[in-house]
Amino acid sequence: MSINPNIYYGEPKELPEEEYDVVVIGGGIAGMQAALDLGDMGFKVLLVDREPSVGGFMYKLSKTFPTMDCASCISTPRMAQVAHHPNIRILVYSEVKEIYRDDKGTFKVKILEKPRYVDASSCTGCRQCELVCPVIVPDEYEWGLTGRKAIFIPFDTAVPRIAMIDMDHCTFCGQCERVCPADSIDFLQTPKWHTVKTGSVILATGFHLFPIERKKDYHYGEYPNVITAMQMDRMLAPTRSMHAIVRPSDGKEPSNIAYVLCAGSRDRTIGNPYCSQVCCMYSIKQAQLIMGALPLADVTIYYMDIRAFGKGFEEFYQQAKAMGVNFIKGRVAKIEEAENGDLIVYYEDIENGGRLSKAVHDLVVLSVGLLPNSEIAEVFKNVKLELDEMGWIISPDENTDPVKTSIDGIFVAGTARGPKDIPDSVVEGSAAAIKAAAYLNRIKRGLS
Amino acid sequence: MSREEIRIGVYVCHCGGNISDYVDVKKVVEAIKDEPGVVVAKDVMFACADSSQNEMIEDIKKYNLNRLVVASCSPKLHELTFRGVAARAGLNKYTYYHANIREHSSWAHTDDKIGATIKAIRHVRAAIAYARRAEPLESIKTSTVSKVLVIGGGIAGLRAALDLADAGLAVYLIEKSPFIGGRVSQLSSVYPYDRRGYEIVGELINEVRKRDNIIIYTNAEIQEVGGYIGNFEVKVNIKPRFFVGKCENIRDIIERLPNDIPDEFNYGLTSRTPVILPPYPGAYPEIPQLDIENCDEKCREILRECKAIDFNMKEETVTLKVGAIIVATGFDPYTPKEGEFGYKVYPNVVTLQELHRLIELNKLRNIKSIAFIYCVGSRQIKTGSEEVNEYCSRYCCKAAMYTSLNLLRNYNGIKIYHLFRDIRTYGKEELLYEEASKKGIIFIKYNENEPPKIYKEGTQLFVKVKDILTPLTDELELPVDMIVLVTGMVPRHDNENLYKILKLSKGKDKFLLEVHPKLKPVETTISGVFIAGACQGPKDIKETLVSASAAASKAAILTMVNILELEPFVAHVDPDKCNLSRLCVEECEYGAIDFREYPGLGERAWVNKAKCKGCGACVAVCPTEAIQIKGLSNEQIREMIKAMSEEVRI
Repeated sequence: MSINPNIYYGEPKELPEEEYDVVVIGGGIAGMQAALDLGDMGFKVLLVDREPSVGGFMYKLSKTFPTMDCASCISTPRMAQVAHHPNIRILVYSEVKEIYRDDKGTFKVKILEKPRYVDASSCTGCRQCELVCPVIVPDEYEWGLTGRKAIFIPFDTAVPRIAMIDMDHCTFCGQCERVCPADSIDFLQTPKWHTVKTGSVILATGFHLFPIERKKDYHYGEYPNVITAMQMDRMLAPTRSMHAIVRPSDGKEPSNIAYVLCAGSRDRTIGNPYCSQVCCMYSIKQAQLIMGALPLADVTIYYMDIRAFGKGFEEFYQQAKAMGVNFIKGRVAKIEEAENGDLIVYYEDIENGGRLSKAVHDLVVLSVGLLPNSEIAEVFKNVKLELDEMGWIISPDENTDPVKTSIDGIFVAGTARGPKDIPDSVVEGSAAAIKAAAYLNRIKRGLS
Repeated sequence: MSREEIRIGVYVCHCGGNISDYVDVKKVVEAIKDEPGVVVAKDVMFACADSSQNEMIEDIKKYNLNRLVVASCSPKLHELTFRGVAARAGLNKYTYYHANIREHSSWAHTDDKIGATIKAIRHVRAAIAYARRAEPLESIKTSTVSKVLVIGGGIAGLRAALDLADAGLAVYLIEKSPFIGGRVSQLSSVYPYDRRGYEIVGELINEVRKRDNIIIYTNAEIQEVGGYIGNFEVKVNIKPRFFVGKCENIRDIIERLPNDIPDEFNYGLTSRTPVILPPYPGAYPEIPQLDIENCDEKCREILRECKAIDFNMKEETVTLKVGAIIVATGFDPYTPKEGEFGYKVYPNVVTLQELHRLIELNKLRNIKSIAFIYCVGSRQIKTGSEEVNEYCSRYCCKAAMYTSLNLLRNYNGIKIYHLFRDIRTYGKEELLYEEASKKGIIFIKYNENEPPKIYKEGTQLFVKVKDILTPLTDELELPVDMIVLVTGMVPRHDNENLYKILKLSKGKDKFLLEVHPKLKPVETTISGVFIAGACQGPKDIKETLVSASAAASKAAILTMVNILELEPFVAHVDPDKCNLSRLCVEECEYGAIDFREYPGLGERAWVNKAKCKGCGACVAVCPTEAIQIKGLSNEQIREMIKAMSEEVRI
């Protein structure tokens, strides 16, 4: 999901240069942790996120494996903490466009703040504009399961919780402007260029979900009852907008759900040979949540290998088995749709003679994998950020210093470095923070 | 003293359904809104959300509130969040009180919505009763020592020490064994650069030796830890080395010493003399260790030829003052039981760790075929009452895959079988699995209930296994020259005493336990003590290094600030009530209570705030209620119990 309308109006305005000890790019769980650790050490931090709210990916999940904490319970306070930390400033809906390194080892970062067309200092988040806006478009935050308006607050607990206008869809009817009690609507807002001088940069730029439309045999986007696990996570979340688990074609409560693992992972035919590291576990998590939400439903997980490798993961997997989740070893070859919207899943039934089998399910959930967000490499103008063959950021010293990058003074945390779960991402946020602190100490003494 | 009017704001959280799916939040608000002192009572979707926090601050200002109560999740998650709200609104942060209606009401009673709601009302009433009595308190400020103690000289400890030193802090790095370097130094080759383990360790050791703000003690063990967060006092025992330097003629001397002690560094695959030489190139310290227990008079006689030996060297104790402690004590490789997959029964059944040593020692000869058996000592299935390792050891699939690819490269024509349950080459290391499959390594999936059997016919070693992937065949009988048991990680067997001294808790898997895997992943329940690397649970090298850096970050936060704020919930004495029973002094485990002269009263009990942990043991024994915990007096607790036990109608 990305809220990134293409249309802006007006010439960008140049703002005077500012200075921060560290710039953290990406306000997900890894970036927030890095910013908080550095802020707690006493450094001045600028946390930049291209989305209109900090929170990143984790915020959109329901619960998290293997402890089943609700995702918002962990991420909401982090979001509030970064917003209120005396040493941290957050800059949302802003894209880092250029980074230059100088011979003193410090950096110049050019950031484009996109216009919200709503005055951030006066908007109170009352949502009256949302009520009157006549335009309804798919809500990115709910993965298109429900709609939002053209003027909208990204989600309930967004930080900052202020409205924005999506100019791709705005009809300029002016109703929001008339109803806004704070007079915050400003169609004349222009983009702004921030120029920031900083000692170090932490890349916590996250990942992209695998665009599973690419796997033609699974017919995502074509068969309505083939959904992604991210959509299922929204249906399971305590903050779910529909308050139910339904299948898209007819709103029926599903009773026989299939999970297809490695959808967009471990698959060279669609360009991703890596294992995405999280899909086995989030699918097992969802299976357990479905068992609670729909006690009569059957859940089948089609897998190649169950990769329950982290602390408490194997136990979590065994628990799902004991709860009655049906695990079938065999990769799903293709999915066909029956007339009533049910789906026929073809798979190799390895544990029963390896023959081709098929099964009927009323909902198929694709456990989509992770792809690198490699655009960040392009912002480095006079230095080169090394990526691996897939486009994930790599360290030149994986055996001794894995959160380093090929650029001295630039560090990496979380899924920007490869697929990763939440606990590992949080730990990396802290790890990158101490590296930046050490680097600042070094440039203070003249890059010895 | 004129008391200001108590004006309380109460916010009851839905937690987006976590609470409101079982507790009727609106009814809770209804039931408490008329309690004495309550001025504002509201329900909120997410109390912790920034917008809700701002709403509370506005209410506090608008309605002149001077007490705040939030009923939401565990105070472990959000007590600090809402204290922050109170503080930002200009209130004393300790006038905030937290009611936990998620863990205690909604989650605990999902089968009884009415019961859960009634219980939540009781909790909120008690919190309001507390708030009515809450007095503004000041946190205790203490200075911190900007030095950190790192326990364990493996890659985790080395990495943490380097990061702290580079951030400008002083570090003591202590290692129990005679040489730093840890387990990685024993590996023959490491992914992805095909470097020897000791080269990786050597690079870190070199860096550490360049820093003048890292002091290393080897042969060192923690004896005692006193003090508290920011100000620990650690007594370290240092065993004698008996060598004060290098001897030029050490090789000649060693030639003449008995060479029959199993060499630990090589898992007993070779033997050593009583002189333990630095076990790998670049090891530190560079001087040998004398194994005095195995050195008899004859041995000593020979050793006297070395000028650098000193048999009179004694054990020493040093006392270190540090602000934070990082525990990086590592793991043990799982040791198979005798007979487990033929281990110790057939000589060519070895563990993965032993295979690394055999390769490094160039002792892998005449091996044309090898079978790797996965999950030995991991993912064990509980059958009887015996404790088993249910967890996955995380690194072993990748390690076995990488090591066997190296074998293919270096031992022409070798045939390799992998007998596995699930291949867990997660992330980028999936490419290793892909390469192994392409290069002809044969993968055989066995069922956990039918593990492979090892036997010998004549001189030929066999492994018999039923392969799930080729179901048409019955059991496969594979003649192999060697069997490698892919053994997992287990908690170290020799650190129980250390963990007891530090009061660290362990998880179900017996590894050290973090406070919370996502919120506080390297913190322990003991403030100021952090964990790094595989002592917390199985990790590969990269993951270990990352967790070490993270622990360094937390220790740096603590020791970089010079003033630390501690919670004010400590004991204090009302000297007018103290009848000198002295029971509190006897009861206090921390030596925090003493006697002092009070003007006009004479000697009465007195509490050292920095030492007091607020445990309340003294309160329980005081016959006159003269000693109380600040912010948790008997009076407050009685009021809370009273409020809780009143009738609830909904």
